Amino acid sequence: MKPLLLFSAVLLSATISAQDDTTWKEPSKESQAYHKFRQHLSYPPYSYDKINEIVRKQVVTDSDDNLVMKDKAYNELFPREKFTYIMIHGETYSQNCDAMPPIQDEQTKIFGHLPDVFNEFNWSERQAKFLADNRDSVMVWIRECVSKNYHIGVNFKLAIQQINATEMIPFIIKTYKMKQKDNDLLTLLMLLMKDNSYPPFLSSASYKKLYGDNSNYQDFILATKANRELIIKRATDFYNGLKN
Amino acid sequence: MDLKISFLFTAFVLTASPFSAQVKNGFAFVPGGEYAVGKIGHLLNPYRKVTVDSFFIAKTEVTNRQFEEFVQATGYKTDAERMHNAMIFVPGLKEFEWKQDSSANWKFPNGISRGGIETKMDHPVTTISYTDAVAYCQWAGARLPTLDEWEIACRAGTSTDYFWGDNREQIKKYANIWYGRNHLTADSSDGYMYTSPVGSFDPNPWGLYDVYGNVFELCDGELYGNKKNKSIAHARGGSWWCSKNACNFFNSYDIGRINIHASFSNLGFRIAKNY
Repeated sequence: MKPLLLFSAVLLSATISAQDDTTWKEPSKESQAYHKFRQHLSYPPYSYDKINEIVRKQVVTDSDDNLVMKDKAYNELFPREKFTYIMIHGETYSQNCDAMPPIQDEQTKIFGHLPDVFNEFNWSERQAKFLADNRDSVMVWIRECVSKNYHIGVNFKLAIQQINATEMIPFIIKTYKMKQKDNDLLTLLMLLMKDNSYPPFLSSASYKKLYGDNSNYQDFILATKANRELIIKRATDFYNGLKN
Repeated sequence: MDLKISFLFTAFVLTASPFSAQVKNGFAFVPGGEYAVGKIGHLLNPYRKVTVDSFFIAKTEVTNRQFEEFVQATGYKTDAERMHNAMIFVPGLKEFEWKQDSSANWKFPNGISRGGIETKMDHPVTTISYTDAVAYCQWAGARLPTLDEWEIACRAGTSTDYFWGDNREQIKKYANIWYGRNHLTADSSDGYMYTSPVGSFDPNPWGLYDVYGNVFELCDGELYGNKKNKSIAHARGGSWWCSKNACNFFNSYDIGRINIHASFSNLGFRIAKNY
């Protein structure tokens, strides 16, 4: 068998040599910074220290595990405190695949989907139910929190999508225009149009690219001026149509 | 350039008794040396060369029958049996949504109401965690493959996205995946909605079955350039849940991440052994 092995090793070596020009390119600092920016959470101020203490001491007992707040403790929280808890802690696991891995030049792209909020964790059914049952309050709390720094964290974005808060479209657009940096706010606008089957959006090239039959969760369109303006115009038209 | 089976020696005889079922299914032998892994431009798994020692890797994923032998021999309780927090899938959930089911564990992978494994003993064990897989390996005198070993064995000498080339459409011949546009309605178009018996589809050139699809396969090791995070494990190859539209991980390069105690009904493993 030895000659066969040796021959195979030579062949492999030749294969590898032919690909030696494929050096890995590190993403630019701007791209890396934007990737981190996309993961930022918004931290509600409502009893934040108290809730964070509970999470640290009673829920996440060690770095290996992720536990659920006991029913008694959870039920004793005021609604705003529950909101804080949900915004900083996912009670169940996320599945193995990484829906949105980092890619090159992330800051130049508008993705079809939002990044994970809590990496290996996700909101539980009771957490999602709380958001849905307290939809109006959730919108008020998000507005209150965002008004302090004009940043809608990925947890807030996902909550807005979960409760289908189309009423917040003007607020999302206004917040986006403050800094014109957070392309995930444009993603959120598209998700709201998609989730509500807005016909002009469903028939668009963007929809086909991001959510069509051959799309993938990691797909994106370029954040050109034209694309950004078009998303905002469509979302505005969609919102105005809802009012009528 | 196709190296195909010139590297492959199948070990039909392994002496340790816990391997009885594995002997039947067999191991592939991978000689030590330098191999190319990763994908050009992939930030989590960049193209590079790695060096590994010779190792054996199971041709099939660990089955329910094999896991049952382990549990009967040791009385082991899985994470899901202790914590009652397994994550299951039922048609109707949105993309990437899973449902917690306190009744689910390896014996009832998608909860008691969806039936047990009595007629699925040759399916891969699922609804187990990384911690459970490591416990099985310790009992079996084996270990999980490293991320690099898994990829070397999966690639079988190729450098393309799939071990047959770059055309995804050929996946039908080799893997149990999800063909539905979404997960709102059931998809059994390849014959299986959940897992399939191991070895139901064609193997890769080195004789490994189900490296893509069926279940995500837990591995050891960290992502390239990353420090060890003791709460995170990685699994590869996609699963019966994965579709081209969501979690397109049934390929040779993508690497997922999961909490070491998380138990999903699309999560399993195959074992490896030092030469």
